[in-house]
Amino acid sequence: MTNDFKPHFEVVSNRVLGELLPGEQAAISYTAERTAFMRFNNGKIRQSGTVEQADVGVKLWKGAKSWMFQLGLSGDRARDDELIAQTLGQARAMMPLLPDDPYQAVPEAAESSDARYAGSLIPESEIPARVLGPTAGLDFTGLYTQGLVCRAAANSAGAQHWFQTETFIVDYSTWLPNGRAVKSSYAGREWSDEEYAARIATTRLSLENLDKQEIALSPGKYRAFITADALNEVVTFFSWNGFGERGLRQGESAYIALREGRETMSPRFGFSQDFSLGVQPAFNDDGELAPERLVIVAGGKIENTIVSSRTAKQYGITANGAEEGEDVRSVSIDGGDLPEANALRALGTGIYVSNFHYLNWSDVQAARITGMTRFACLWVEDGKIVGPIKDLRWDESLYNMLGAKLEAVTKERHLLVESSTYEHRQVGGSYLPGILVDGLSFTL
Amino acid sequence: MRSDLRRLLDAAQNAAREASWLGLRRRSTSASYYMARDRAFDQAISGADDGAMVEVLFNGEFAYAATPDLTPDGIARAAASALACAKAAAGRGVHRFDQSVRPPTRSRYETPRSRKSPVAPDGVFSFLLDACGALKHSDEVIQTTALVEVGRYDYEIVSTNGADIEQSLFYMGTSLQAVARRGDVVQLRTANGPRGLTRQGGWELFDIDALLADAGRVGAEAVELLGAETCPSDRRTLVLTPDQMMLQIHESIGHPLELDRILGDERNYAGSSFVKLADFGSFQYGSKLMNISFDPTIAGELASYGADEIGNLAIKQLLIKDGVLVRGLGSLESQARSGVAGVANQRATSWNRPPMDRMANLNLEPGETSLEAMIASIEKGVLMRTNRSWSIDDYRNKFQFGCEYGTLIENGKLTKTVRDPNYRGISSTFWRNLSAVGNQETFAAFGTPNCGKGEPNQVMFVGHASPVCAFSDVEVFGGGK
Repeated sequence: MTNDFKPHFEVVSNRVLGELLPGEQAAISYTAERTAFMRFNNGKIRQSGTVEQADVGVKLWKGAKSWMFQLGLSGDRARDDELIAQTLGQARAMMPLLPDDPYQAVPEAAESSDARYAGSLIPESEIPARVLGPTAGLDFTGLYTQGLVCRAAANSAGAQHWFQTETFIVDYSTWLPNGRAVKSSYAGREWSDEEYAARIATTRLSLENLDKQEIALSPGKYRAFITADALNEVVTFFSWNGFGERGLRQGESAYIALREGRETMSPRFGFSQDFSLGVQPAFNDDGELAPERLVIVAGGKIENTIVSSRTAKQYGITANGAEEGEDVRSVSIDGGDLPEANALRALGTGIYVSNFHYLNWSDVQAARITGMTRFACLWVEDGKIVGPIKDLRWDESLYNMLGAKLEAVTKERHLLVESSTYEHRQVGGSYLPGILVDGLSFTL
Repeated sequence: MRSDLRRLLDAAQNAAREASWLGLRRRSTSASYYMARDRAFDQAISGADDGAMVEVLFNGEFAYAATPDLTPDGIARAAASALACAKAAAGRGVHRFDQSVRPPTRSRYETPRSRKSPVAPDGVFSFLLDACGALKHSDEVIQTTALVEVGRYDYEIVSTNGADIEQSLFYMGTSLQAVARRGDVVQLRTANGPRGLTRQGGWELFDIDALLADAGRVGAEAVELLGAETCPSDRRTLVLTPDQMMLQIHESIGHPLELDRILGDERNYAGSSFVKLADFGSFQYGSKLMNISFDPTIAGELASYGADEIGNLAIKQLLIKDGVLVRGLGSLESQARSGVAGVANQRATSWNRPPMDRMANLNLEPGETSLEAMIASIEKGVLMRTNRSWSIDDYRNKFQFGCEYGTLIENGKLTKTVRDPNYRGISSTFWRNLSAVGNQETFAAFGTPNCGKGEPNQVMFVGHASPVCAFSDVEVFGGGK
């Protein structure tokens, strides 16, 4: 395959649009990447390699019928042309058999965009030495990822969008023989040996807090300072049974009580979908653009929801460029007034939560979540670190954690870029503060 | 097609002559997915994908390059890239591997199917609309969804030391869901959990009459839950049906027994394990009633296959016998690294990710107790059906699960329905409290098509079969803020 995917996208999208027959309309989405992966365990290489891939998604509409297909592409023009033509033919054969789609939403958006972010990445042959070099003596575990990622969309109304970025991320943890660990990451577009070495040096210092007697706390309610890294796990729940309009109307959202005024969140809490973070494109698979900033919750109350064109058609409301799944993208939680440097003093006596793990709903309708503490969570007394805690399970409603129990939000916020690599390298990220919670419920 | 793959293997070998071993793993996938919501057609999606991973062994280090370009030139470029990765990594690997972990297996496997010809598309579409109608038990049902997915995975593996493997796995899944609301109470009920009814097989799995009857039950139970009390909070005997046992087995037995987790590969992402290498052969994992098998040979269970993706022939193995841990979920690579006996389980989500230790079909063997006798023996308990929530720590010890539907057991009888039933515990304590294992009549298999693990991340289909089981002295509780 190529390292310049845009001509490939143009050939593919032009092929689809050029093949359309009278009465047919289409939207084309495209993802592509060339990635180098290197996985580490105990400061050594577990697996390494490269992946190149490109996929096209086509939504096809004719009359009241809708069909979608997703194809992996080879990069070879003749072969991909043939594949697309054959699949379009199969779609045309099936569509007359389909029931009508009453909420079909054919995109009318016709904007264009082209965003390209070049990077300065490590030559692949140097990855082992430059990533492992500064970690000498550490039990270093994780994944190094680098390369080009592309996203694109077009539609028969004339929209054309292109987004590409060259990025790297070292997503790692370093471990002590006692089983405690510090989790961190170093990510960006311009690799710097000096910045990376400084990050590893900070990690070495953080490990010192963990080389102390582990403290086993009893279940109960504790004050907790939840770092931006830990809060990032909670952000998932803004999308999963989240703030999508369809879920709110059809009973699957956790925030129905908030919408209906039976619950509130803290006046200190608010968040937006904010594409000015620059970590993912604002266009969706249909080529529709979301507003650069959309306030979802302000002052603890819902201001807007995530609305796809399909939901808008069903309920006669206005769409806001959402994907069909109505997930929140590029989450930015409002900052507060607690200086991060004062977090331990403000916590006083309680748990400093560096990371959460494996969250899930305990009760969706009560917006109640359970999860675990993980990595470098610390017991703090009178603002001073005592030592690492034995991991605890917690179980709390977001109406408490982000509501009555929310005591403070940090002034500083951190950009946490998406590290997920299911199927493809994902793009996106969140811009988050830390929060101070009084009386978080720990259960096991 | 294999002759094509042989030609591509030659191209790869010519481009990476310094490799001491070279393998080519091709995987093509095709799938269709149809969904209706509230008796309106919602989605029709088809998908197809094809690509290959070239893997090389150089100086004791494996490395890979994955490409969808299946021309000789494309494969040759991939082979050169893989060799460059292996050279860069040489001497820094976790283990010095050799060809013994890539056996020259020759194997063919295809999912047994009694009905290979598909139902006409309009038959599927009308089923989806009818299922929504059956789910709509009353006006209190505010959302109904019905989904059918069908697909196949085709694998071809060849290597320079003579491996020659072909597998075609066919699957079908059905999902049925009803959401009901009365006042402020909202309840969701499904047929055996999201995508739980996914199995290998042909169109014989598309039993319209049975599925419509199930849709009617799901809708009725969603409404029934609206009037139910919340599950009590106390300690009592817990009875779990197979559509919850699948997650209990998956999270608190499957993952902790994966040797790559125990070796530390997953510590940065999915986590490690409370099980140590020294535990194999002696650790009392659960009560003597507990027998856990790795069994990729059960036709129809979701993760059946003939060989794993490094060429290890798949056979049934007991991992836990009479409650004692005897074998790990570890591939030939993990067995070489750990010295612990394992199974044929090195699998990949597709051509674009390297294979690693995975569950396949991980089952709890049936016991002797009938459901009636089990319930009759319990003075104070709760029966929970169908997983709706799962959470466990990174050592796979402290867990919490939620179910869709509960029934109290009082003085040996099933009595009141309860909503929002949850329970929590610690894995080995929980399994040592396994007090009754249901007989073959209570045994059922379900699929989990979305198990996430690995760096880079991979999602995998696994199967779990189990009888109904009872556990004593479990902390249970309900919902609410």
